[in-house]
Amino acid sequence: MPPGLDNLRHIVVLMMENRSFDHMLGSLTAVDPRIDGVTDQLSNPDTTGALVKPQPLAQFQGQLDPDPDHHFPAVDLQIFGGDTSPNRVANMQGFVKSYFNQQQDVGHAQKIMYYFTEQQLPVLTTLALEFAVFNRWFASIPGPTICNRAFAHYGTSFGRVDMNLLYVNEPFKSIYDRLINANPKHTAKLYYYDTTSSTMEITNLLENQPELFGTYPQFLTDCSTSNLPDYSFIEPNFNDHDSDSGEEVASDQHPDHNIQAGELFIASVYNAIKASPLWPNTALLVVYDEHGGIYDHVVPPACTPDQFTASANDTGTGQPFAFDRLGVRVPAILISPWIPKGTVVDGRIFDHASIPATITKFFLRDYSPRSPRETSADVFIEPNVAPVDPTRNLLSLAAMRDDCPDFDV
Amino acid sequence: MTLIHVPRPDVKSAMNPNRPVNALLKAQVQHLHEAERNLPLRHRTDIYINAIKTEGEAAEYIRRVTEAIHEAHEAAAAKHGRGIAIAAAAEGPGDKAPGASRGKKKSKGKRARET
Repeated sequence: MPPGLDNLRHIVVLMMENRSFDHMLGSLTAVDPRIDGVTDQLSNPDTTGALVKPQPLAQFQGQLDPDPDHHFPAVDLQIFGGDTSPNRVANMQGFVKSYFNQQQDVGHAQKIMYYFTEQQLPVLTTLALEFAVFNRWFASIPGPTICNRAFAHYGTSFGRVDMNLLYVNEPFKSIYDRLINANPKHTAKLYYYDTTSSTMEITNLLENQPELFGTYPQFLTDCSTSNLPDYSFIEPNFNDHDSDSGEEVASDQHPDHNIQAGELFIASVYNAIKASPLWPNTALLVVYDEHGGIYDHVVPPACTPDQFTASANDTGTGQPFAFDRLGVRVPAILISPWIPKGTVVDGRIFDHASIPATITKFFLRDYSPRSPRETSADVFIEPNVAPVDPTRNLLSLAAMRDDCPDFDV
Repeated sequence: MTLIHVPRPDVKSAMNPNRPVNALLKAQVQHLHEAERNLPLRHRTDIYINAIKTEGEAAEYIRRVTEAIHEAHEAAAAKHGRGIAIAAAAEGPGDKAPGASRGKKKSKGKRARET
């Protein structure tokens, strides 16, 4: 058995907010051509017909204001360029047009094509180059935050394409429910930043199962005292607020929140795990919930339809949606000292349903019932059951690395 | 082993609790409002959420309802003799989440109108 899988006891997922792959990691194509990022051949038409190329001019804050629209109809425009015909083909040509709709300002709309340089994002780009970066990790739905985060918790959004998270009496259990009710019992925790940021998983988890929740300081303690649960899901700080400790800047990277605050937060999560005695036994996935309306060039692929359908009224496009294609591509990085430096995961497709799919297969081997989307989703960590396919196992090193970077947080 | 320098944001310019509340926080407020309606009356905030316009106001409401939910669970657990380990209990006064923060201030988010 590969020692990386044999040693793995804890999986941690950190889900950030609303940034596309090209926007955050697109610059890395210049460093490693295997990473599918920004090239000179890419462009989007603006409303005058002029072609707008991606440019490395993204700023940490103050540039994407107003918040780019990323509700279902806007993302439909972004992906299909405004074509609503029955046999339309996705072309990723509607991002500038979509942002123009919000302010009717041609110059401002072009900023949706801007991306960060490698040097601007030392945390995210270092992690991408040092560990495993996914070329094809997509949001689960071409829509906003809550329904996409639902896929990370439940493997489905129960037919929702909007921000309604009142999932009550639904047919599929959350990954947390599955773990804590398993025999033998497993442990799971959702760590939110603090009570003023709270969680996006309110109705079911916080209301009904407060024992599943912890704060970020508790996560830090659990790392240092070797008390991490089997599965941890971390939410960043979703709002600017005062606390007893001082002024807390939102760290979720949701436009127009500060990108550097998010970099700092990602680094602190990584450092806490790396400094923990559990570092050899832990894998960390850093992923973004959806693209936030920001440009990416990769056409989202088709996928297994879910058993739910969103009505034409719910999608706002005049057409129903069968959850049979993915949302826009997002950054995703898997971190472990057992992953070879410079791993680029290519030729495989992942979305947020891959999270409960992976956790279920690794810790429980199987579980039923699960959504069609989840049961068909690829896993990013192989179950530690023979035979392990060496071409799929990312924790493949025979010996643990001792050259992993540190961040001065 | 390489040590990577991580630039810190300028908190003074990055922090803006008067920023108009975004769609995500609006949804969070609405969902907390739904959760609050299921709480015993003594734990409800009576904050009129339609008056919440800024991020700071949303943050204050989110804090108060989250604390109220924890208190309601603690009260229910005490009444039924159950020991529920909840997040609020783990969040001691000295705990601090490392992030971009500055200075030491008491919570003073601008409150939405209370009814």
